[in-house]
Amino acid sequence: MPYRITHMELTIPRVATLRRDPDQAAKDAETADAALAASGDGRAFERLYRTHVARVHSLVRRMIGPDHADDVAQDVFIRAWTKLSTFRGDAAFGTWLHRLAVNVILARRSTVGTERSRIDDSEHVWEGVAGRPAAPEMSMDFEAAIGRLPEGARQVFVLHDIEGYHHEEIADMLGIVTGTSKSQLHHARMALRRHLDRG
Amino acid sequence: MKDQWTDRLSEYLDGDLTAGERTALEAHLAACGVCRVTLDELRRVVARAQALDDRPPAADLWPGIAEHIGVVSLAARRVDGRGRRRLSFTMPQLAAAAVALALFSAGSARLLFRNRPPSPTQGTTAIMTNVGMSPLDARTAASVAALEENLARNRGQLDTATVRVIEKNLGIIDRAIRDAQSALAADPANAYLNQHLAQETRRKLELLRQAATLASARS
Repeated sequence: MPYRITHMELTIPRVATLRRDPDQAAKDAETADAALAASGDGRAFERLYRTHVARVHSLVRRMIGPDHADDVAQDVFIRAWTKLSTFRGDAAFGTWLHRLAVNVILARRSTVGTERSRIDDSEHVWEGVAGRPAAPEMSMDFEAAIGRLPEGARQVFVLHDIEGYHHEEIADMLGIVTGTSKSQLHHARMALRRHLDRG
Repeated sequence: MKDQWTDRLSEYLDGDLTAGERTALEAHLAACGVCRVTLDELRRVVARAQALDDRPPAADLWPGIAEHIGVVSLAARRVDGRGRRRLSFTMPQLAAAAVALALFSAGSARLLFRNRPPSPTQGTTAIMTNVGMSPLDARTAASVAALEENLARNRGQLDTATVRVIEKNLGIIDRAIRDAQSALAADPANAYLNQHLAQETRRKLELLRQAATLASARS
């Protein structure tokens, strides 16, 4: 039977006046797990995996599509395991893992992207996303619409509007100029507004 | 319909226009209903993007990762094939295991140290914590300190019996760590002792992490 806490009792005077910060406690626990994992503790790494897999997999899926998402997400965690010794705990583990995931995705995008037709950035591709469906049952949901964006616009949109990176960071990551990042973002938003009520 | 300002609406939304451009665009918005509608739609796109839920993969990726990195998963398949069963331990079980392991390994360290002849380096080297601390050791020490502080801060969230068990086991583990450090002061190159010290430190980290999780769950 799991251990149950049946009552609360303050064992240190004035402790109740301290402001509790559950987020900080969770961050401390994650930092501890990262340290344990770095020393070879697979259980600690599994806890980190279970905490972050949904976010990492969603990022991968949105950036390069569902076909390769499992492989790339798995690769992210394998890379994280081998690079745990470089995690210094300055930022949250999730932030470190997320940046690592972006790097893995961008390294894989050239091989994955060449297999995909949506790398085509021509006008008819934009029309395919932007066109308002004739009937609701033919509509695609918002996630699917993101997946139909041309590759460059999709990556900028995901990194900026979903993941919260700045244009300067995105330009650096993708090897483009800031103006291109802004332009791609605007085109992506303009295309996606047609699918607002269908997600 | 599209005018010269349509392509600047995202920049306006993101606060990327200069003060002059912003003023001009706002003047245009006051007169252009199409741009106002477009701006509102762009706002909703951004809000929709930020509200997207993260979804886990359809199939658990951990078995493949665990196999690749050479660790064993906590999740074990049931023999009858009805799915996965996660092994779970209660706090007292974990505490008892920690006590047993700490006592066993501390006893082993004492025996080993007592039966060994003095090392040629005995008396000439400082204890391990002061010599050759790797970045990993330093980070582990920092994590231990952070979790100890967290436990002190949040111990009011735990009942006294839980606090008593945690502190008792921390005391045992600390004694094992001190024993290992003392032994290492005499024989710093001893691989077993170094491994034992690292193991006890990890055990302390694990116990503190469990306590922090328990306390934060009650916050």
